[in-house]
Amino acid sequence: MRRITLLSLVSLVAPVVLVAQQTAAPHDSVRGAIRAVDTRARTLEVTTGVGFALRVVRLQVPATVPITDRKSAQGAPINLAELKPGDVIRVSFGSRPTGLVAYAIERVGRMDAGVEPTP
Amino acid sequence: MTRAWIGLAAICAAACRPPQLGDPLRGLSKAERAQFDSGLVVFATTFTPAVGLGPLFNASGCGECHEDPVVGANGDEVERHAAVFHPERAGAMCDELADKGGPVFQDSVTPALHTALGIDHEPLPPMVTTVAARSTPDVFGFGLLDAVPDSEILKYADPDDRNGDGISGRPNRFFDGRLGRFGRKALVPTLREFNDGAFQVEIGITNPSVPVEGTVTGDSLPAGTDPAPDPELGERGLELTDAFVRLLAPPAPLKQTGEARRGSDIFARVGCTSCHVPALRTGDNPIRALSHKEVAAYTDLLLHDMGPDLADICLGLATPSEFRTEPLMGLRHATQFLHDGRAKTPEQAVDLHGGEGARARDLFKALPAADRAALLAFLKTL
Repeated sequence: MRRITLLSLVSLVAPVVLVAQQTAAPHDSVRGAIRAVDTRARTLEVTTGVGFALRVVRLQVPATVPITDRKSAQGAPINLAELKPGDVIRVSFGSRPTGLVAYAIERVGRMDAGVEPTP
Repeated sequence: MTRAWIGLAAICAAACRPPQLGDPLRGLSKAERAQFDSGLVVFATTFTPAVGLGPLFNASGCGECHEDPVVGANGDEVERHAAVFHPERAGAMCDELADKGGPVFQDSVTPALHTALGIDHEPLPPMVTTVAARSTPDVFGFGLLDAVPDSEILKYADPDDRNGDGISGRPNRFFDGRLGRFGRKALVPTLREFNDGAFQVEIGITNPSVPVEGTVTGDSLPAGTDPAPDPELGERGLELTDAFVRLLAPPAPLKQTGEARRGSDIFARVGCTSCHVPALRTGDNPIRALSHKEVAAYTDLLLHDMGPDLADICLGLATPSEFRTEPLMGLRHATQFLHDGRAKTPEQAVDLHGGEGARARDLFKALPAADRAALLAFLKTL
């Protein structure tokens, strides 16, 4: 196949690379499937990604973090031990010297049952 | 006057000819056509390490694999995917190796990474239970598949085979619970996400959607092996690439002969259309050329059990033996068949169907030779 020259790529891509670098923001929330829960260490692993570029977000879950279930009445609180692998959750979190720490967790459904997209 | 008629006839001939391979969809606006043309440039670009290629990669550009006979078509490259299947773990049977960057293991490295680690491909982690081969499909008509509403796909799902026809298509889901449809196991919900992820996974090009470089089997890259600043492709580059793929026209089927028409009927009669649903319909779409169109893709975009002989990796909810019904549009341009390219002819591919496809396969094999030939003649019109 005919190759497009490097020059044409640079002229097309370089300006947008500069713009993108200025606007990139750190992730502070994630929606994905629980991969592992350690109730004793109070940690969670969440699988997420874009296409086939997958990643695992490891989170500490302090005892004070609110955990709710969208399907229960008024989003009633649930325990960390009630979260299971395959649950789809939405987590807000922040970065600390010890790692990523959850601020709030909402269980939105099960991966095998399907979850409607939310804005 | 004669000249005017000739001119008019020429214009009509150009407008009336069916789209050729690599053409955009009919009815694009001027702006959409311009995006398609610019997107082709990005899609066909050959990246180098200086502008972000690698350090791990399968190809130096989209067009290196999707290339035969035109940009966007299929290719002869076959890549490695791997996963770990834990059938005993309810709710999380599949480990897609997300902590290692996902199921795609790159077969090439840049000279800098080779010098640093002495490797020429990404090593597989020891816990891997299965390695799968994945051939390169064409991407024609994928914008139409993206525009099919979830409800249109889900209406064909019958996970518990309640109608008792032996076919139990079920949806795959991405990790956030959305319906999947792209990839051989229908993991990825949207075309845009598939494309954005592929830049990083296939070419090692970071971008605003995937801003971080891949790892070497879960380990960080050695210092100095990735000199290009991240993201290596900007949002505009992603948008243009997406526009090119989204707006590629599906291959126009050939006019059917009497034999092929008969083959089409036989295709339905032996049960192929239970999974290879002849057409899906798109929903509302901001692009008029994608809105409320019929797409003759011959797929239901659902998972089906294809039997133990074809089984390889798990992915999302897909078990090792479950695969998404492969779209058959453009089949006549393919040079290898099935998800790993192991079949060299459509007839071989039919022969290799197992599981839910076994009944249709057996009925096909039991057909008189003339009927089998008619069915294959029909497939050659797609």
